[in-house]
Amino acid sequence: MSLCRQQIAEGVYFNTVRDSRFKTMKLSVNLFVPLSEQTASANALLAGVLSRSCQAYPDFTALSRKLSALYGADLTVSCNKLGETQVISVSASGLDDRYALDNESIARELSGLLCGVIFAPNLVGDAFVTEEVEQERRQLLDLIDSEYNDKRVYAIARMIELMCTGEVFGIRRYGTAEAIQTVTPASLYEAWKNLLRNSVAEIMYIGDSAPDQAISVFTEAFRAVDRRPCALHSEIVREAGEVKRFTETVDVSQAKLVMGFRAGTALPEKGITAAALMCAILGGTATSKLFCNVREKQSLCYYCAARYDKYKGIVIIDSGVEGENIEKLERGILKEIEDMKNGEISEFEINSTKMAIINSYQSSNDTVSGIESWYASQLMQDGFKSIEEACEVINAVTKEEIVAAANRLRLDTIYVLKNQEGEQ
Amino acid sequence: MNKTEIKSLRAGDSYYKLQHSSGLTIYVYPKEGYRSSYAIIGTKYGSVNNCFSVDNGKKITVPDGIAHYLEHKLFESAEGDAFTRYAETGASANAYTSFEKTCYLFSCTDRFEESLEILLDFVSDPYFTAQTVAKEQGIIGQEIKMYDDSPDWRVMFNMLENMYHNHPVRIDIAGTVESIAEITAEKLYDCYHAFYNLHNMALCVSGNVTVEQVLAICDKMLKPCEKHSIQNYFEDEPDEIVNPYVEQTFPVMMPMFNLGFKEKPVPLNEKKLAAIDVLLFMLASPTSALYRELMDHNLINNSFSYELFDGPGYCSVIFGGESRAPQQAAEMIKQYITRMKTEGLDRDDFEVARKSVYGDVISSLNSVSAIANTVMGYHFSDNELFAYIDAVADMTFEEVSACLSEMLDVNNCTLSVVKGSDTEAADE
Repeated sequence: MSLCRQQIAEGVYFNTVRDSRFKTMKLSVNLFVPLSEQTASANALLAGVLSRSCQAYPDFTALSRKLSALYGADLTVSCNKLGETQVISVSASGLDDRYALDNESIARELSGLLCGVIFAPNLVGDAFVTEEVEQERRQLLDLIDSEYNDKRVYAIARMIELMCTGEVFGIRRYGTAEAIQTVTPASLYEAWKNLLRNSVAEIMYIGDSAPDQAISVFTEAFRAVDRRPCALHSEIVREAGEVKRFTETVDVSQAKLVMGFRAGTALPEKGITAAALMCAILGGTATSKLFCNVREKQSLCYYCAARYDKYKGIVIIDSGVEGENIEKLERGILKEIEDMKNGEISEFEINSTKMAIINSYQSSNDTVSGIESWYASQLMQDGFKSIEEACEVINAVTKEEIVAAANRLRLDTIYVLKNQEGEQ
Repeated sequence: MNKTEIKSLRAGDSYYKLQHSSGLTIYVYPKEGYRSSYAIIGTKYGSVNNCFSVDNGKKITVPDGIAHYLEHKLFESAEGDAFTRYAETGASANAYTSFEKTCYLFSCTDRFEESLEILLDFVSDPYFTAQTVAKEQGIIGQEIKMYDDSPDWRVMFNMLENMYHNHPVRIDIAGTVESIAEITAEKLYDCYHAFYNLHNMALCVSGNVTVEQVLAICDKMLKPCEKHSIQNYFEDEPDEIVNPYVEQTFPVMMPMFNLGFKEKPVPLNEKKLAAIDVLLFMLASPTSALYRELMDHNLINNSFSYELFDGPGYCSVIFGGESRAPQQAAEMIKQYITRMKTEGLDRDDFEVARKSVYGDVISSLNSVSAIANTVMGYHFSDNELFAYIDAVADMTFEEVSACLSEMLDVNNCTLSVVKGSDTEAADE
């Protein structure tokens, strides 16, 4: 695969990957803005409202029926944070025109529809429709509450919040329930105008046919906006003070342990590759140190995973464990890290982890979403690497660099979610 | 050896079915231009097969959760574990146990043959000792406890327990901490020898592969296996549900529900499956009047979903999701179904649903993992993927209407609710 990238307006890029192997096409618009307490909630709510309806299909049922009639096409939105940037993504995917039963052009209709939901939403004067806003507000509040339902997700989110209190990264991707409550149909209209004006926009197209029509509708739409794209930046914190410890109790049968570390490097620095590899050797595969020792040898847990966030430069290790074994697990995890710092990493561990990472890179080329995320994950970097180039970079990492990456780790926060003492 | 090509003009794809001399059924679905390959081997043996005999021998009853336990332990051999061997080839490996099957899989972009050898080798080479069995207790014990804390999992099993009187589908796939304590190496061998017979298994490979490549490895690795007959015993299951309502208090802020309709457990062919898929889409997808009504009354959010849940000796239709008022949501679903049964379905809805279900299945053929898993599932239920695609494309309104009249009895359903204590959530 190869990417064709062109600028179509100030801070707006159209990225094309032509590929005939797939039965579907996908077009996504990714809008990047600085994460902030003032705007995070309104942007998250906006994402939901935009995907519900538009001028052409002014209610949810009409829009859903249109999509389904296009052979089950999907229109999805997501709201995420990459480091200290909030990303609102709206995407449309559907069958390639070759498979239409009645020879319709699905791609043409979908690009028009996607442009419509972003640039021609369902408005009443300078405000969104009240009922639509209320529906999405309710659902967004539900979504925030539902994150507490899944204790693994909840524990990780709490740890990040506590570790990064006072940093922009401590803000949740949807902001807060309180802020969501204060958004009005008119303030949402302002948020929409600001998002179109201030975001950095990256449009991704993956499909068989040429996206000429999509390029022209989006070029026209964005050129009509007075574009003032803002600068994007994430603060890297490299040192940690005394370890912060938090324990919360709730009626669970399994305790959760989440440990947060400063990794000492993040985008756009070169050190991210060694940090990612170090983290995978520690706890990213079924032959990682944590899997082999903490799970297999000590039988302490079912999962114990380490992941590196290259945008913010932190490492998170999380596990589910019997309440009485929390301290044993914590010691077990720290011992594996200590070993890595002391250079106890075998050639086998390095080579097999490199192969596992390369396998996942190469596999990503075989799905539409894989290709999309391959490039999307590099949108915040300077320039794009092909899969081959990324494999070369991984292969070039030396043991010394991995050990150095381990030695940059600073334990910052330990969060435990567990039962009241004595309860079962 | 018997080799059949299965083609679909609509999908523009074809794949091969082979009956290998060892007894194994093999499917190869090449994907042109793909770099990756995905292989999965499965046995028709899952958590529901807890009482069986072989060749009319002694009836054996085994502890709950043993199929899943066996899946964990099969990765080990006297020389070490399979993950370490895969680490040499770079493949990404995994396994899963469901109600009706156990599967082992890997995906790779290089050294496919070596990885396939590893897969076929460890699956045909059980190694269970008292020590290795004991070691797994802690790991699976934590897996069970993780699921005990999962409201989605609990809300479903509470529903199944209140829908099925006797059928083992009501039992958690992983068993309980107590039941797995009864598992021994000997019992694992009993199950292994009964169900891991190549005649009871299938291999599906998709992606950057050829029939010749797969066959060469199978010829090298697989020894002919004597066919035996497996008898599974299930207690008689009444047609009626056990209880119409069950509730559990849980540390959640968003209450959840599953509304399950108990259906007759008859085997479903491609046509019937297609009709049910189109019907459920018409009734409950985001395009439906029901979905709109539930949303307008704030009774669901976009976590709402539906599924046909069927396997050997059980069949049900489940509607579920998060709701702040699950009982009202369930009532509205039942009323809507009753109304559709009397007033009849809408022809426009049918056309929208048929195209959408068709689009979804064609889209799934992009993915090597989706292909291999689907082909495996169809193999064990005696169906075929492309026949299903044709059945969707050729579906008629009348067939779907007939389907509705036979299903979804509003007097034979169970509502399961998981909700927070009053301090965590206000409900109704």
